[in-house]
Amino acid sequence: MKITDRFYKFKRDLNKWSLFLVLIVAAVAIPILTVIFKLFDGPGESWTHIVNYVLLDYLVNSFVLSLLCSVFVIVFGVTTAWLVSRFEFPFRKQLEWLLILPLSVPAYIMAYSYAGIFGYSGLFSDAVGLLGIENFSIDFMNIYGLSFVLSISLFPYVYVSSRTFFLAQATNLLEASRMLGITEFKSFFKLILPLARPAIIAGLVLVLMEVLNDYGAASYYGVSTFTTGIFRSWFSLGEPETAIYLSAILLVLVFGLIIFEKWQRRHIKFTSAKSSKQQHNSRIKPTKRKQLVFSLICLLPVFIGFFLPVTQLLFWVSQTFTKVWSTDFIGITLQSFGIAFLTSLMTVLIALLLLFFSKWNKIGFLKTTSKLGVMGYAIPGTIIAIGVLIPSIYLDKWLIEQGITSKLILNATLIALVYAYVVRFLAVAYQPLESSSLKIDRSLSDSSKVLGKGNFKTFFKIEFPLIRAGLLSAFILVFIDILKELPLTLIMKPYNVNTLAVKAFEYASDEMVRSAALPSLLIILTALIPAIFLNKLLLKNANNS
Amino acid sequence: MQTTLNIKNLTKSFDQGKVKALDDVNFFVNKGDICAVVGESGSGKTTLIRLIAGLEELDSGEIHIENKLVASIKKNIAPEKRDVGMVFQEYALFPHLSVLENVVYGIKTSKAKKERALETLELVGLKGYEKRYPHELSGGQQQRVALARALAPKPSVLILDEPFSNLDAMMRYHLRNEVFNIIKKTGVTAIFVTHDTQDALAVADEILILQNGKLVQKDEASELYKKPQSIYVASLFGNTVQLNKGLQTAFKCPLKEDCCHAIRNENLTVNKDCDYVSEAEILKRTFLGTHSQLLLKLDNGEHLTVVTNEPVLGKTIKIGFNSKDVLAFDE
Repeated sequence: MKITDRFYKFKRDLNKWSLFLVLIVAAVAIPILTVIFKLFDGPGESWTHIVNYVLLDYLVNSFVLSLLCSVFVIVFGVTTAWLVSRFEFPFRKQLEWLLILPLSVPAYIMAYSYAGIFGYSGLFSDAVGLLGIENFSIDFMNIYGLSFVLSISLFPYVYVSSRTFFLAQATNLLEASRMLGITEFKSFFKLILPLARPAIIAGLVLVLMEVLNDYGAASYYGVSTFTTGIFRSWFSLGEPETAIYLSAILLVLVFGLIIFEKWQRRHIKFTSAKSSKQQHNSRIKPTKRKQLVFSLICLLPVFIGFFLPVTQLLFWVSQTFTKVWSTDFIGITLQSFGIAFLTSLMTVLIALLLLFFSKWNKIGFLKTTSKLGVMGYAIPGTIIAIGVLIPSIYLDKWLIEQGITSKLILNATLIALVYAYVVRFLAVAYQPLESSSLKIDRSLSDSSKVLGKGNFKTFFKIEFPLIRAGLLSAFILVFIDILKELPLTLIMKPYNVNTLAVKAFEYASDEMVRSAALPSLLIILTALIPAIFLNKLLLKNANNS
Repeated sequence: MQTTLNIKNLTKSFDQGKVKALDDVNFFVNKGDICAVVGESGSGKTTLIRLIAGLEELDSGEIHIENKLVASIKKNIAPEKRDVGMVFQEYALFPHLSVLENVVYGIKTSKAKKERALETLELVGLKGYEKRYPHELSGGQQQRVALARALAPKPSVLILDEPFSNLDAMMRYHLRNEVFNIIKKTGVTAIFVTHDTQDALAVADEILILQNGKLVQKDEASELYKKPQSIYVASLFGNTVQLNKGLQTAFKCPLKEDCCHAIRNENLTVNKDCDYVSEAEILKRTFLGTHSQLLLKLDNGEHLTVVTNEPVLGKTIKIGFNSKDVLAFDE
């Protein structure tokens, strides 16, 4: 095509939505670009020291953590997913959703609780004491303990992604395989595992991103990771430059993961899911003894990932409630919920704009760049915080120099905090919205347009009423994520603002882990109610379609 | 005669030019005519109507509706401003709106919207169904609501995308005549896409054949049947047998070398006198209800499959055809 024709086409297809789309994507990209551009300023004074003495530690620790967590979450996640989707056994239905519950316990809270369970005169030593062994405890606060608490709170990601696969695709293939004379057990390894690999790895990559993002658990267990290193360089050493260099290495690791995930999916084609009725009938009913074993296998991760830590927290709450519960604490709780509520609304709104602006935009390559708008979820919260902090300081300085304002209006204010949250959690809101809008046949909005309604009217009259369920789940998911977010909040929160997550972290860091139980439990309970509610909603939708 | 739709040098490709969906297509449709667009899947027919409706942007060429330029490389009038009506393949009825709300949706006049909607519903024979929701209707009723909804705003051009592909054969036959009677009554210019040539032959004033994004022929139905310009066009309207060298020897009918010849299956005769005849041995008979299919071996060993409704006895038959039925194409 001639260059002038290209220009005319570009001019014809460019509309205001294209511009708004670019604005949103740019706003999301700023924190990441900041980290990359600040690299050119050179490292801080301690950089050589870090490279010589601790960088290897960070790398080895991150590697060991990732490896141990991978093994653990795959063993637990895939086994339980396989059992609940292929076999019939007592309490299968209940276990099916109970297995998601550990996700409602943030890793740092899991870390506090297990430190207590295995610590001196904890539940574990009491239990052993009953056997006559006195003062026995296990040193849990090391990299192995950290791997355990991270894995047990994150394995549901792998459980959910593999279960979805098993339910949707495995049944008819398995039936074919068994007709060919291969046993169920053999078929699993020969047929299902290789087929499910992309789904399992997709869940695993989410787990590893969370592992790299974790700050609370690692710092409490005293394990040096990139995130704790970034915190130390910035706040203890006072060297933002060094923090940025560490962030850059962490970014490379994260992008490596993303590329790996995309690469391993390169040959995968999606086949449509079969109706759920068929699959219910085809569950195998094993012998009574096996059924019992299966129930116990599925119960184990629920027990150690949810009931045990929650029991520990309840125990602590009973000891410390009167001390912790105060008007201050109620204030923090309200603040925490208020921030989460407002930010979730903002995030869902922006995700909605991103989704529809990219639909209304007609320039092909911009549609692809809009995908960059949701990359924030892959970036550790610590890095986003730094990426927002630096430009907000510059902008504040500039505003003061220009005489527009006399005090900091961005840095260390709610505006910067909310902005950072939106960047980080945009993808969380975007995905349910996207999938519910994909369910609407394209011809519906097309026919509305042919019938004379523009983009906005079509949105309000047709698309909005049809994606309401998606909006609700987007809001709930973001709300929970914000409520339990720790590293980003620690760095960005205004001085006079506090959240439940930060309060729990402060108690734990000040050797008052028992007092951390109440805020922790509140976070878990909040994360729990929608988990049950969402599960019901999803079931209802599945039955309707 | 007035032209309602005029398409000039229309070209469109996808995937940055890798897939050419439409290649230099030119045609026009007269006011009040019904024009069918026929082609295999992937021939570009859906792209063509989406471009006319304004749901896609063209790469080059022009589209005029009622002598007004609506799309070119410099201009693209939004679908909502094009005065085009469209009946979608899956009907695309809004599931959360009632039948009446669906039909009212596109009416632009500020008053008497409801009257217009009711009038259109009556036209399609759905009076009394206003309060129902789409999922409470049968496939045929949904189809008629979709038609009413598209006609209610009185568009200049009505587009129908595979309008009968979701219906079973009996339904299809009834609804086809009904729908096009309604369209004729309103006098709207209509363009409809189909892969079923029976639909096209039955109701279209003119038929447009697309192949790999190119317009290969545009004619009235009877002309198209009698004088197809390529074997592709001929084969769209029923089974055809290409008369290759082997068959020409078997039937002793020397034909010109520089063109390609074919004969329609229905023009092959069994045990009758005609211009060219060959003895044939029946290798296999397949009974298909009203007719049967025969696999034949001709004199010189050539194989030929024939469908006939004549009762055929014995092991050999005489098969033949007349020279007036031979189709010739330059290829």
